[in-house]
Amino acid sequence: MSYIALATTTLGSAASSVTFSSIPATYRDLIVVIDAKSGAGVATIGLRFNSDTGNNYSYVDMSGTGSSTSSSANTQDRATMGFVPGTSAYMSTAQIMDYAQTDKHKTVLARHSNASGNVQALANRWANTNAITTVNLSTAVNNFPIGTTISLYGVA
Amino acid sequence: MTYTLIAHTELGSAQAAITFSSIPATFTDLELRLSLRSTLAAVPNYFFLKINGSNTTFSFRGLFGTGSTTGSFTSPSNYGGESTGANSTADTFGSTAIYFANYRLSQSKSFSLDSVGENNGTNANQVIGAGLWATNTAINSIELESAGSNFTQFSSATLYGITSGSSGGVVVS
Repeated sequence: MSYIALATTTLGSAASSVTFSSIPATYRDLIVVIDAKSGAGVATIGLRFNSDTGNNYSYVDMSGTGSSTSSSANTQDRATMGFVPGTSAYMSTAQIMDYAQTDKHKTVLARHSNASGNVQALANRWANTNAITTVNLSTAVNNFPIGTTISLYGVA
Repeated sequence: MTYTLIAHTELGSAQAAITFSSIPATFTDLELRLSLRSTLAAVPNYFFLKINGSNTTFSFRGLFGTGSTTGSFTSPSNYGGESTGANSTADTFGSTAIYFANYRLSQSKSFSLDSVGENNGTNANQVIGAGLWATNTAINSIELESAGSNFTQFSSATLYGITSGSSGGVVVS
């Protein structure tokens, strides 16, 4: 397996959006890793590809809080890497499968880990056969806090 | 290299714990991949984590399925994952992957856990977990401790280091 670091950033100030662009079609999958510090506040971590803001993303998730479980599904204007329930630190990862292929919609498998809040597994689909060249991460409410690191890897 | 093998062990005989020590502070993240079976007279079993010799300052949220039920749990706070027990199907081992982000920074460490036991599709637990080690020192050792038993011969554990960086002309904005 070939696992290549493509880009990384550590936020010097809180930010609502981070974008990876000019992604080469060299690999099989992409992996995104977010390590966020405390102070984020309630947020939904969104993923958009190639600046597509249409309702072309669907997801299903399962979640545990330590005392209860839930599952949900929706079609919306972004894929989801997790729901942040509060202000504690968390990490989220996403594997974007076959991102450069033009013969299929794109599947994203995500995991969200918040030891003070919730643990989630999410499966997303972007209903588009274009190769992904841009990945945008965003929080609909509240920002990624200062000190958050976000890294992109390619897997061959 | 972005994904580097740091150390691997396969047990030649049963022992109570597996420890990775003197972990170099040269990577960004760590990943453990584990194949574990225990001597406990049960079907499923589990193991604990210790970081830098400590089993304190952990918090955890887990989500599990057994094939017939689901649930969520927070204890033990230093839960590490599933192993199989002595009463499970022969030659079957639990599988676990644990990812530690930014392990060498002076801050709390978040980690993500995916784990499953195995017993021919019955009485096997699958768990996903969210962990936090709330100590502001770099991780230099990780210990896996079998709950109430030993890990059996042929149990194995592998530690990888992941290094973030830039290549391929990808732009971050």
